[in-house]
Amino acid sequence: MSHFDPWIDGSIVGVYLLATLIAGVMVRRYVGKVEDYLVAGREMDVYLGIASLAATEFGIVTCMYTAQAGYTKGFVGAVPGILQAVAMLVIGLTGFCIKPLRLSGVMTIPELFQRQFGPRIRWAAGLVIILGGLLNMGLYLRIGGEFLSAVVGFDPGWLEWVMTALLVLVLVYTVLGGMLSVLVTDYLQFVVMSVGLLVVTYLVFADVGWSRLVETVETHHGAGGFDPLAAGGPGWSFLLFQSCLQLAATITWQPVIARLLSAKDERTGRRMYVRTSAFFAARFVIPGLWGIAALAMLTPVDLAGLPPGADPSLHAMPIYLARLVPVGLMGLLVAAMLAADMSTDSSYMLTWGSVIYNDLCAPFRKGPSSEKRGLFWNRTIVVLIGVFLLFFGLWFPLKGDLWTYFSVTGTIYLSSVSVLLVSCCYWKRANDWGAAAAIFFGAAFPVATLLLPHFDPEKQFVLTRLGDNWNGFLAYVLAAVGMIVGSLLKPATRSGAPAGPGAPGESGGFGRGGASA
Amino acid sequence: MNPHGHAFWWLVAAFCCVWYSTVTVYVAIKGARDIRGMLGRLARTKRAGEPDSERAR
Repeated sequence: MSHFDPWIDGSIVGVYLLATLIAGVMVRRYVGKVEDYLVAGREMDVYLGIASLAATEFGIVTCMYTAQAGYTKGFVGAVPGILQAVAMLVIGLTGFCIKPLRLSGVMTIPELFQRQFGPRIRWAAGLVIILGGLLNMGLYLRIGGEFLSAVVGFDPGWLEWVMTALLVLVLVYTVLGGMLSVLVTDYLQFVVMSVGLLVVTYLVFADVGWSRLVETVETHHGAGGFDPLAAGGPGWSFLLFQSCLQLAATITWQPVIARLLSAKDERTGRRMYVRTSAFFAARFVIPGLWGIAALAMLTPVDLAGLPPGADPSLHAMPIYLARLVPVGLMGLLVAAMLAADMSTDSSYMLTWGSVIYNDLCAPFRKGPSSEKRGLFWNRTIVVLIGVFLLFFGLWFPLKGDLWTYFSVTGTIYLSSVSVLLVSCCYWKRANDWGAAAAIFFGAAFPVATLLLPHFDPEKQFVLTRLGDNWNGFLAYVLAAVGMIVGSLLKPATRSGAPAGPGAPGESGGFGRGGASA
Repeated sequence: MNPHGHAFWWLVAAFCCVWYSTVTVYVAIKGARDIRGMLGRLARTKRAGEPDSERAR
């Protein structure tokens, strides 16, 4: 039923892919140092930052889970986006955490932690960041492939090959040009993606209309589709968990922070936060409307052709768009979605790779390494992450809805790292005991939530009975309690005054003791 | 059904669409200038850091 024409739409997609590859590869000659590769030599200005941040934080997977949220929760599905928009605006205006972080001159967040908590905590924080980040990113390729399969109409048996080809293309320019290639291609991808999103939204409004969208939410979700606290809505646990999650993501989500650290100065970073804030609402609201439109326009018969086990709430939106978007504009839609996906994949591989190189590998580096060697290892790590994504995406069975999976995997590190960052910036008494407790308790709940259903399908465990939202919220509370109690329990020493976030960092190695209060 | 809920979401949706349309055009123009500026600064920094023999080539 797809309107994708191989010649007309295929040409549009082909031109877009070629332009991206050429632009991405051309800027590789500007990369001379590890700092150029990881944070673009800290030369990024505000509008490029807005384009890059928006393109990175919107992938096919974002479109899929936000549309699914619209389909399953109504307008309330967009609440996390509104919460993050408010967090971005307030944090950008006040500089809460991001000001000291940018002024410190670090390349990753764990590097900052070493100055107050010591090298072991830097390493442990790097480990949970990688664990949460890679698990979170692991499903991007498969979900992207499923969207393209539904919209373009190609055989699902080709999904793995399409995923592989897309990943290789992204790897080519990311490996060669690092953050510089990512920024330049993000700009192109932002323009293509935004035009595509706006055109499709216009088509959706023309097809369904506002009144029918409202009626559909009223019929399927009642008052709970408009108000999260009304009967039938997701309730307080959802609001509390999402508030913590969005605040933590705004100050510690590594792909977002990588833009802040690439900004040419602290003021540019804050302006980028303020001016991109509305996008974080738009990235939930716009696909959410597509999901509601799919709920309005598709019948159970339309979804009957899905393969066994496929979630109708996840696949409804692409099936609806495949019918709605005409030849010519379908090429624009696919190019826009490829743009969204490629910018996310390239940036995420680079930023998680930067934590592996800068923090996890720090204890194993004997003295300062040459720029050439550093670039070689960074490029190797990016390739290895690509290989991991390919295989993880193929075999991991998703249980539950997509947004919950991303919230839970993100919380593995967001809960503890956000507590560590706030403490590092604003609490002099915070020390490595508190940091270790925060990392342990912050990761324990989400890891248990993720693993227990796989061991016990009957969900008899207490944790799983609490529900994902309460588990997620408790992870933030326990991480904060762990930090406070652990820090207060450690005996104060005379010589161990914390260095604070503005002090110069150490180069790594477990030989040095952590700072204490 | 609370009509205020409908009005709120109508305002949110309208704001997102209008803001996004405007910012797309604005960032498309200004972002291209930022890229030129960034690459220019990096090229100058790289040239300044190269030894004379490298620059002669």
